[in-house]
Amino acid sequence: MWRVLAEHANNIKDTHLAQFFADDSQRFERLHADCGPLLFDYSKQRLTVETLERLFDLARQQQLPEWIDRLFGGEPVNSTEGRAAMHWALRLPEGASCVVDGQDVAAQVHEQLRRMERIVNKVHSGQWRGATGEVVTDVVNIGVGGSDLGPQMMVEALCDSAAQTSSRLTVHFASTMDGSQLSQLLRTLNPHSTLFIISSKSFTTIDTLSNADTARCWLQHTLGDKPGVLHCHFLGVSSAVQKMTEWGISEEHQLQIWDWVGGRYSMWSAIGLPIALAIGMHGFRQMLAGAHLMDEHFRNADWSQNLPVLMALVGVWNTNVLGINAQAVLPYDGRLKQLPLYLEQLEMESNGKSVTRDGQPVEHQTCPIIWGDVGPNAQHAFYQLLHQGTEAVTCDFILPARRYEQARDEVTAELIAQHELALANCLAQSRLLALGDAALKDADQLPIYQRYRGNQPSSTLLLDELTPYSLGALVAMYEHKVFVQSVIWDINPFDQWGVEMGKKLAVDTLAWIRGQGEVSGVDSSTAGLLGRILK
Amino acid sequence: MFIAVYGDTLCAMVSAAALASTGHQVTLHVSPGGVANTLNTGNFSLREPGLADLMLEQKREGRLQVVGLDQRPDPRVTVLWLALAPDLLDYAHELVRSLPVDIDPEFLVVNQSTFPVGSTEALQHTMQSREGADARHGAVVSVPDLLTEGAALNGFTRSAHWLVGADIPWAGRLVAEILRPFNRRRDSIMSMRPREAEFTKLAINGMLATRLSFMNDMANLADSLDVDIERVRQGMGADQRIGEAYLYPGCGFGGLSFSRDVMSLASTLQHSGLQAQLIEEVLQINERQKEALFRKLWQHYDTELTGRKVTIWGAAFKPESSRIDNAPALKLITALWAQGAEVHVHDPRALPALAAWAGERDDLVLHDDPYEAAAGADALMLVTEWKAYWSPDFKRLHAEMNKPLLLDGRNVWDPEFVKRAGFTYYGIGRR
Repeated sequence: MWRVLAEHANNIKDTHLAQFFADDSQRFERLHADCGPLLFDYSKQRLTVETLERLFDLARQQQLPEWIDRLFGGEPVNSTEGRAAMHWALRLPEGASCVVDGQDVAAQVHEQLRRMERIVNKVHSGQWRGATGEVVTDVVNIGVGGSDLGPQMMVEALCDSAAQTSSRLTVHFASTMDGSQLSQLLRTLNPHSTLFIISSKSFTTIDTLSNADTARCWLQHTLGDKPGVLHCHFLGVSSAVQKMTEWGISEEHQLQIWDWVGGRYSMWSAIGLPIALAIGMHGFRQMLAGAHLMDEHFRNADWSQNLPVLMALVGVWNTNVLGINAQAVLPYDGRLKQLPLYLEQLEMESNGKSVTRDGQPVEHQTCPIIWGDVGPNAQHAFYQLLHQGTEAVTCDFILPARRYEQARDEVTAELIAQHELALANCLAQSRLLALGDAALKDADQLPIYQRYRGNQPSSTLLLDELTPYSLGALVAMYEHKVFVQSVIWDINPFDQWGVEMGKKLAVDTLAWIRGQGEVSGVDSSTAGLLGRILK
Repeated sequence: MFIAVYGDTLCAMVSAAALASTGHQVTLHVSPGGVANTLNTGNFSLREPGLADLMLEQKREGRLQVVGLDQRPDPRVTVLWLALAPDLLDYAHELVRSLPVDIDPEFLVVNQSTFPVGSTEALQHTMQSREGADARHGAVVSVPDLLTEGAALNGFTRSAHWLVGADIPWAGRLVAEILRPFNRRRDSIMSMRPREAEFTKLAINGMLATRLSFMNDMANLADSLDVDIERVRQGMGADQRIGEAYLYPGCGFGGLSFSRDVMSLASTLQHSGLQAQLIEEVLQINERQKEALFRKLWQHYDTELTGRKVTIWGAAFKPESSRIDNAPALKLITALWAQGAEVHVHDPRALPALAAWAGERDDLVLHDDPYEAAAGADALMLVTEWKAYWSPDFKRLHAEMNKPLLLDGRNVWDPEFVKRAGFTYYGIGRR
């Protein structure tokens, strides 16, 4: 199949995107698809309808339909850890039936959602009390990786959907092991009215536990060492119930997740508690409903209309056939500033692998390098390379069509005008990247350093509006895209062995830094750096 | 003159009685539940020295009549005197709007209600824009209520100063004429524009609220410094620069006059982007203070309140009132409910309002008898200092309560005395 694709590529690889558009006025009609609030336009990719047919053949050869069934059947698709990957089950509507290995998964999921709801309601009504009876006004989520990126991205993105609360409520995030965020927060927060969420699937993550210990110490310094302090100021979210209890989280303040939820797929579970605190349970359920829409779409829609499948195969085409190894994520909406970071983890931690499912070295490239930023700001940063550099880069442009329409304040009209400006820039950039000089008048009159090569492929994801529902659908789409690509590349997207060993090596290194034991058996670079640190 | 006074407030009754006593024909318009209606039944429950007697006397003389709040003024009336509750601004506009087209050219509306700044001018505008009416006829002036409870009648008849806010010269002169009998020793009328008079009233309320919130702040500090705030209060009050008034710490003040709506400037001014920072903070401190007793209880029982029975004495926002607007009891009850406690309440007059506010619930029981309310309780909170609560039968309370725990939100009990009687005692800034 790969050979067929390579041959096909030979036929069209010299055709410039400008030419594709010139040859076919119906190109957009043929090369876009939609699902609910999302429209996916891939007509600015360097491919044709025929390419898609070959890519679908590849997907069939890699048994994509069977793998989709395995994923949604709760089979242990995470083979190296012997676990299922059922993030989709977190989004099942109330009353849906889903029994895996004799467990009523849907019922467990909704039981945890109801627990979340009780917590959220208590906080929102101003009745979550600290140890001295003060109303909690600040919630700090302590977590890292999947317990941080997803919730933080969502809370920031959905700031316009913030829930009404009886008194002020602010959600903060602390993640890095060096205490960078926490130290700043503790300077301004009041221990009497601060609640911490300790969020860690395993409850062994050193980054999170070291931040949690600092937080506990800070509280006890002011509030004393009473049992009420831990009880009133800490919530735990984990699959390791025993470990939460040992740490001191009281049972009724524990929320549970399951082995079958991967960290980077977990914001739909109780790990998403900060999201629910920010946008309310109604908003949270809307987000789940949007993702469920995408789940159903992914399972049932014809591939020619199937957003995750199309997006994944376009990516495979770019990476494996056109040899493009970089992908930029460019939201044209400042609220989505964290989305590139979130997708970096989702894609690169999932598909940054080089061993196939049966333990052989892969024969093809896998996940490209993914990075990004808010588009309008990136225009002043790395767009120069996109337009005139030597690297081929494919871009995902993401933008909401409507914004500020519900706002009713004195600057609404001005803000709508700013949104229109962002829309215009997004469309102009993707057009110039694709067409190059052909987008300009009399380009051949310009000096060479003012010319545009064009032919940089991109996709555009247009949301009707940025809402919990549409963003839920968007993120679920990327999740399934990643899964489809893993099937094509025959790798396991649900493990992350590459991030484990460094943590272990750090244990010895920490001992050296603390002056315990002789530095031995390390390279001269490490030894040299240690020497300078210990000086 | 024929004067129609509208309102259930103390101010309305005092104004009506005082004006009638100088020879005016006064109709006092009150709602069905208004205290003035109880004059003849002998249950007149307002303990305002001399007021009941004067009102009865004026009724006997035929110069004071008490009628319904919804009744329009008599056609002979040329002075409409508004002493309405702060939440009746809309009704004030309705009254003014429905005045006949052909009113006396010098028809006077006196606004004595505590409304947001700018309301008197807004009423003036409503009056002038009545359909078919001559915009030159009639005027609305502001004469803010400056009465002190307990000395209200004297405060009117021998006032040290009057604030009169009038834009139109004849209206100012007419107010002075009406107040002439009460303004004899020296001219104590201070003339200003209507919004200045209203603003002065707001500033007075703001200052009083600030003193209370300041004292509550001090009381919270006293708690952690092991200082008895009562001694501090007396020491401060003895300083003539400070004086004794409004220095009592407590579990927060309620009532409509201190509501955010009234303490803010009129909505027309709000768009200036300016806000009264200190007053905002003062109100914030007060909201927090309303939960002071809850916090003490929460700590006393180590954050475990589920299933506890808690008794509250006093739900009205102040003694002698049947109203619960912004009353501290409401915040306490809500907080107790959220922790799964069962709340038992006694109040001499405010239970109907409380029942309407709460609706039907299992975790709220209302009692006509204060001891019944306290029977089996894990704590007794005194929230509104009705006189009947000042010296209860402590022996009986101790026998009937489940846990002898007193939380005194008004510092009316003597800590030493009740501790000797076997109680655990928490006051505001004293133990």
